[in-house]
Amino acid sequence: MADPMLELRDVRLVYHRGRVDEVQALRGIDLVVDKGEFVTVVGSNGAGKSSMVQIISGAAKPTTGKVVLERRDVTGWPDYKRAGFVARVFDDPRVGSAPELSIEDNLALALARGKRRTLGFALRGHRRALLRERVARLGLGLEDRMHDRVGLLSAGQRQSLTMIMAGLVAPDVLLLDEHLAALDPATAQRVLGLTAELVAEMDCATVMVTHNMDHALRMGNRLLVMSRGRIIHDVSDDAKSALTVSAVVDLITGVGDVVSDRSLLTELENAE
Amino acid sequence: MLINILVDTLVTGLPLVPVVLGVFIVLQIRQDFDLTVEGSYAFGGGVAGILIVAGVNPVVAMIAAAAAGFAAGMATTALTLFLRLPVLLAGLVMNMALFSITLRVLGLPTLSLAGMQTIFSAVAPAPGRAADLATSAVLGGIVVLMLAAFAVFLKTEVGLALRASGVNERMVRSQGVSDRGMLILSLGMSNALSAFGGALTIQMQGYADVNMGSGVFVLGAGSVLLGMLFLNPGGSQVVRIVLAVLLGGLVYRLILVAALRFGLPAGDLKAVTALTLIIAVAAQGYLAPAVQRYTVRLRERRTPANSSARARIGASHG
Ligand SMILES: Nc1ncnc2c1ncn2[C@@H]1O[C@H](COP(=O)(O)OP(=O)(O)O)[C@@H](O)[C@H]1O
Ligand SMILES: [Mg+2]
Repeated sequence: MADPMLELRDVRLVYHRGRVDEVQALRGIDLVVDKGEFVTVVGSNGAGKSSMVQIISGAAKPTTGKVVLERRDVTGWPDYKRAGFVARVFDDPRVGSAPELSIEDNLALALARGKRRTLGFALRGHRRALLRERVARLGLGLEDRMHDRVGLLSAGQRQSLTMIMAGLVAPDVLLLDEHLAALDPATAQRVLGLTAELVAEMDCATVMVTHNMDHALRMGNRLLVMSRGRIIHDVSDDAKSALTVSAVVDLITGVGDVVSDRSLLTELENAE
Repeated sequence: MLINILVDTLVTGLPLVPVVLGVFIVLQIRQDFDLTVEGSYAFGGGVAGILIVAGVNPVVAMIAAAAAGFAAGMATTALTLFLRLPVLLAGLVMNMALFSITLRVLGLPTLSLAGMQTIFSAVAPAPGRAADLATSAVLGGIVVLMLAAFAVFLKTEVGLALRASGVNERMVRSQGVSDRGMLILSLGMSNALSAFGGALTIQMQGYADVNMGSGVFVLGAGSVLLGMLFLNPGGSQVVRIVLAVLLGGLVYRLILVAALRFGLPAGDLKAVTALTLIIAVAAQGYLAPAVQRYTVRLRERRTPANSSARARIGASHG
């Protein structure tokens, strides 16, 4: 039944190799994520979470090691070539969409993710209807503003739109790197709900990096704790359900890492 | 006087609209500087000129010119992709090389097309003013067709990817669009258009000149910036792009023609070209926000139903 969608095999990533400012961002990551698995990733700043996400997306190439998507070795593939398998939502809401283009144009761009782009019209009648219907599900009224520039939207609206864009072509792997970090708490809550809905529909392998311990525990069925370029804890299913926020904080600080103020704040909020 | 200025603007400005469009593609859409367009403008003029003098059908000559410009763009792309030169430097290098190549093609620094069959041959025999108007009509038809075709292209999947690629590279890559592909496409199209403009220009003025490309980039960039100034950020992006190119190119030309008509020596034209660009850049910075506020208010009056929210958002961004 195990159906591996994503595999990292002894992945190491070194920045500025051989220079005085050499950084070992990843020091041997082994990871297999199955179809339908939803992994949340926590760890202190600089633990290598974003580096791991970039290795999976192809934005960074491993110094050594292999990346396998759907049993295909894609280590040498650049990110745009992997886009047919991998959908990404970035931490900065401005990165996921093009501000000069309309909502509709942005969606149309995502509708062809990973496919060969043709000289056919990007927006044909039935596509317009489909996109409108998808956007309407957000309940933000954006379906009546399909021709507005995305630059006019708020951060929360843009990030919601990016989530919809990620799901237009069902990916094999969905990567979310701190995708709620730039949102106010209420908006973050709403986009979190949207995340859960989309993930449930897509049946892909999901990797969600977060600094919010509560989100890390509530979402998904597997939790990774990273520290200094390694995965130091890998907790699944029942064991994960049994974890508390303070237990996760202990897992991180147990190796001498610090938990950022942001994470502690959310812990306090949740304790109240 | 006024009529003369307008007709001169059309006759000398319309052949440059393809160049403005070419500069627009790289400068505004890709947010990069490609100086190859100067070289490919003269190269296109040279290729079309030599073919026309050899008696080739002028339409075929223009297509050959565009192909030559495309090849020049590919050379710049190759320098960028394989030697990792920045587009700016690669274009500068190619521009120099193209000077010698154009001189080789022409054989002489200037080549007269007197008495040859051009796209204007049918209308040329008309007397003075009528000939100018007929020339403008032919040019106008070509330019409108070209802009319409480009507008359609921008609405295709490839065109949409191109529009997004300059603004947000990370996003476009994450959607599966290759930067290399977009670079090839944009530099190829822009130089083909520039060469096509050169081919129109030589037929309009009756001769090809190896130096004719000098200053064309600044002229194109100035036109683009001027064009952007006229247009509010709302509405269809495709329509805005096409109008900015057309209006920018013609208004820029109008300024130069008016300066000449009011007695400015021809030698000072380059200074006017440069000055207009500087003013356009300054106006972008200082005037654009004000213009934007004004246009938002206009739109509010037109569609009172749902635009107040938009106006509020627009104002906070402006
Ligand atoms: N582009 C880069 N160049 C050099 N060092 C980098 C780069 N990106 C990340 N790093 C370094 O790699 C380490 C891991 O960073 P990152 O993966 O961003 O951590 P996290 O997302 O867990 O906070 C850090 O020490 C960081 O400074
Ligand atoms: Mg990070």
